[in-house]
Amino acid sequence: MGKKDLASVTTDLSALASMMPTQRPALAVAPTPRHVPAPRPAPIKAREEPAIQFSLSMRKELRKQLARLASEADMTMRAFVLNALKEKGLSVREDDLIDLRKERR
Amino acid sequence: MGIITIATSKGGAGKTTIARLILGRLALQGLPVAAVDADFNHTLTDWVRAASKHPITVEHELDETRIVPLVESLHEAHDIVVIDTAGAATQATIFAIGCADLVLVPCQASSADIVEAIKTMNLIKSASLMMKRTVAARVVLTGYQPNTNISTHVEGEIAKANLPLMRARLNRLVAFQEMSFTGIVPTTGLAGVQCANFIDEIASLGGIPHASKLAS
Repeated sequence: MGKKDLASVTTDLSALASMMPTQRPALAVAPTPRHVPAPRPAPIKAREEPAIQFSLSMRKELRKQLARLASEADMTMRAFVLNALKEKGLSVREDDLIDLRKERR
Repeated sequence: MGIITIATSKGGAGKTTIARLILGRLALQGLPVAAVDADFNHTLTDWVRAASKHPITVEHELDETRIVPLVESLHEAHDIVVIDTAGAATQATIFAIGCADLVLVPCQASSADIVEAIKTMNLIKSASLMMKRTVAARVVLTGYQPNTNISTHVEGEIAKANLPLMRARLNRLVAFQEMSFTGIVPTTGLAGVQCANFIDEIASLGGIPHASKLAS
């Protein structure tokens, strides 16, 4: 313990501080800080996992319905099925769907 | 030594949690500790006054012109003064950095946390240049989730930005969240071990005077 001399702190840092906003109620709206752009961190890369084949059989009528509903949703059948499974809790990521969507005409 | 400032311009990064851990743990070990709460949300002040079971002196001060004299006066009677700042770079933050022997910059696993940690470290560098002395500073990983892709990525980004990082990690643990209600700083289990390692590392960085006085 013991007194620490911090007298020079205020003097040394006043110029730097004046560029910052204050929290004092009466002055709180006064100075606007300059926006200094900071470097952006790189976006996180998704783990690359190999895609595997998965097939299922269904009645022909169901297959037709699937094709129709996917078409109405402007999606491929695969994306449509993955999207439905996502709603059931499967951890489908956006990038699992994004490259499968049909291009708009 | 003995003035520790906790700063980052990102809100919700874990500043007040870190302040609670340092203050509570050192108070428990018998050191006289004090806090300056320079955050307009006064979360630390509320915790000390309403929940904390530890002997901690706390002053809520938003007026940047009064931060330095207040820290000076508290440091006369206490071994450790912890300054908790607002989640924004304010005038009070600058003066709190200027008073510090050690600045801790908490960072969680998000892009915004890294961006604000970089900005805060740059602010510390500017303050050091203007004061013609180096203010020691370290990034602290808070809300850490070990063995995850995101944690590895964040550590990589911090290394890429050349930010000095503490070895101690503070995981996303229920005990740290419970502390905000119970007022009790964890001393057992993984949270207790992490807290002890964190304090040891701060002592090794010179942030705690009379570290040898600490009870184990």
